[in-house]
Amino acid sequence: MRRAQETQGAQGVRRARRAPRGYLAAGPIAIPLARAGVVAGLAVLVLLLAAAVATLSMGRLGVPVPDLLHALTHGPSEGKQAFVLERLRGPRLAVAVGTGAALGLSGALFQTVTRNPLGSPDVIGLSAGAGAGAAVAALLLPGTLPPWAGALAGAALAMALVYFSTGTGFRNPGRLIVAGIGVYAIATAIIQYVVYAVERDRAAALTAYVNGSLSARSWEHAATVWATLLAVVPLVLLLSRRLAVTELGDELAAGLGADPRRARSAAVVLSIVLSAGAVAVAGPISFIALTAPQIAKRLTRLPGPHLTLATLVGALLLVLADLAAQQAPLPGSLPVGVYTLALGGLYLGYLLIREWRKGSL
Amino acid sequence: MTHPGSRTRPALILLAALAALALAALASVASGSHPTSVQEVFSVLNGTADPNTAAVVESRYPRTALGVLAGLCLAVAGTLMQGVTRNPLADPGLLGITSGASAAIVTSMAFLGASGHWSTVVWALPGALAAGLVVYVIGSAGAGAGVARLVLAGAVVSAVLMAYVQAVTLGNPKVFDSYRYWVVGALGGRDFPVLWSVLPLAAVGLALALLLAPGLNTLALGEESASALGANPAVVRAGGLLAAVLLSTAATAAVGPVAFVGLAVPHIVRALAGVDMRAQVLLSAVVGPALLLLADVVGRIVLRPQELMVGVVTAFIGAPALLLAVRRMRDGS
Repeated sequence: MRRAQETQGAQGVRRARRAPRGYLAAGPIAIPLARAGVVAGLAVLVLLLAAAVATLSMGRLGVPVPDLLHALTHGPSEGKQAFVLERLRGPRLAVAVGTGAALGLSGALFQTVTRNPLGSPDVIGLSAGAGAGAAVAALLLPGTLPPWAGALAGAALAMALVYFSTGTGFRNPGRLIVAGIGVYAIATAIIQYVVYAVERDRAAALTAYVNGSLSARSWEHAATVWATLLAVVPLVLLLSRRLAVTELGDELAAGLGADPRRARSAAVVLSIVLSAGAVAVAGPISFIALTAPQIAKRLTRLPGPHLTLATLVGALLLVLADLAAQQAPLPGSLPVGVYTLALGGLYLGYLLIREWRKGSL
Repeated sequence: MTHPGSRTRPALILLAALAALALAALASVASGSHPTSVQEVFSVLNGTADPNTAAVVESRYPRTALGVLAGLCLAVAGTLMQGVTRNPLADPGLLGITSGASAAIVTSMAFLGASGHWSTVVWALPGALAAGLVVYVIGSAGAGAGVARLVLAGAVVSAVLMAYVQAVTLGNPKVFDSYRYWVVGALGGRDFPVLWSVLPLAAVGLALALLLAPGLNTLALGEESASALGANPAVVRAGGLLAAVLLSTAATAAVGPVAFVGLAVPHIVRALAGVDMRAQVLLSAVVGPALLLLADVVGRIVLRPQELMVGVVTAFIGAPALLLAVRRMRDGS
């Protein structure tokens, strides 16, 4: 085991010094291009495309696949199709892809930095904080402060609380989890109080938002999350080489001339910005940021940060969950966050049992 | 134990705690949207007060009694759980028991048309038992189970159960309405029948706790010593956890989930009474109610004329305490 790590480390050093094999590298940018990774990425991309087509074409209002091709190349042919594609499901799909990608990348960055498979912003209270912020905004300033602004403030406050209460930043997994539970408890108490205090219809709407919902999203929502991605992804690319080096351990990284601490802080900030962008448009959707990097890691079994693949997997997961939310034969439509909460929780439970059996956590 | 001081000290601490509980109960009866003075409360107790004041004060009796019961149940449950699992973060809320009870209660309301406090208790118990069992099995699987692991297992199970609860309540406005008033954790607006409905559960749980306390003491000496002293570790452990589930179900069914009482009181009690589980159980049965009543009084004062529910107050007191405690956690635990 140790020998394997050492050889891996040595390979990493070689990779980091020269334009490495298996990496597409230019200056500070290093994108891993191992065959397994590329194959997995293409597979996820194909699945994502299939899920997107299904989202647009399934159900009572769906546009059949042949019409869909025609509409995409020549513009929608009739009123109903135009309504479904341009107002109803098109923007919703764009928001789902963008939000899922942002969450997947956010989780991958966070887990790379904390070297902790559970160190995802939502496990340590970001979602709950965002929900509490939105709830307070709805209670104290109804109509003036939009819920997303409250959610952003709440998320930032929750992360600051966790960061300062651990005393070691985001490093120690045990402390991170316990501090996250404390922040989660406060946030939940706030949400429950507000849900108790307002009248029923507003309480139900608030509960749906607090769970993370994609219903009734417009192109403005899509633009917000895609703009966040467009702004952050180039910065992540610029950071990617230093992050790949940080994976080797602090001492090695420092020996190679990369300041691991600065790279790490930058990655955490970018991760939180991505999560916040996702929260702003879709509310606090749980567990995508946690599970996407883990699935990406298991798809390829390669070392290193799986940033690209985690981004794609995040998008795929959220589109699939939203497909379920739209098409599931349940009374009343549930917000997509309820689905990700259930599925993510089950996956996390499976993961925990497996890791613990191996004694690696 | 032969030292004379070690026998009188726990008794003195218990007396002091009882005095604190009496004061807290007095404050609980005296405070509210129509504040009454201590003299007025005493005059009501003597039967010399005017009927109006008497009516106001007497209307607060159920609330105070429920606070005593819920505080006792949560504190003793927390003490048992921390004693059995040797985990300083064990607590009915963190280990998924309250979510299990919530999920079962919501199921009974939505699909089986159940209503009323008796059915709440009847449904909460199996839900709490099942969830507690799953968390314990996941959290202690494999080698080297750490403190954070059990808590994390609790968080995972709670997350899945809460997703289910959200799904059911959001699809059913009537259930949503009663659920949101229950889940916030409040002592007010409930009457004596609620108390009677959970009393049997609480009594059995407390009796079991007192019965098992000596066995838990021997368990603390290690598996082998415990077996040598004639205690069956597996039985003691299972019995202790069962008692904890019974007690926390009673509290949760009566007043809804109230966080952090079960987490904080055992720490206070250990600092005061030392390692003896018998003393710990007795003392937490007094300190828990005192703490919960005080939190409820605070909740009635800060937002007057509105109220802050006791579950919200305890979260706001308990969570910062937890955050402060995080810094003292040993690395790698």
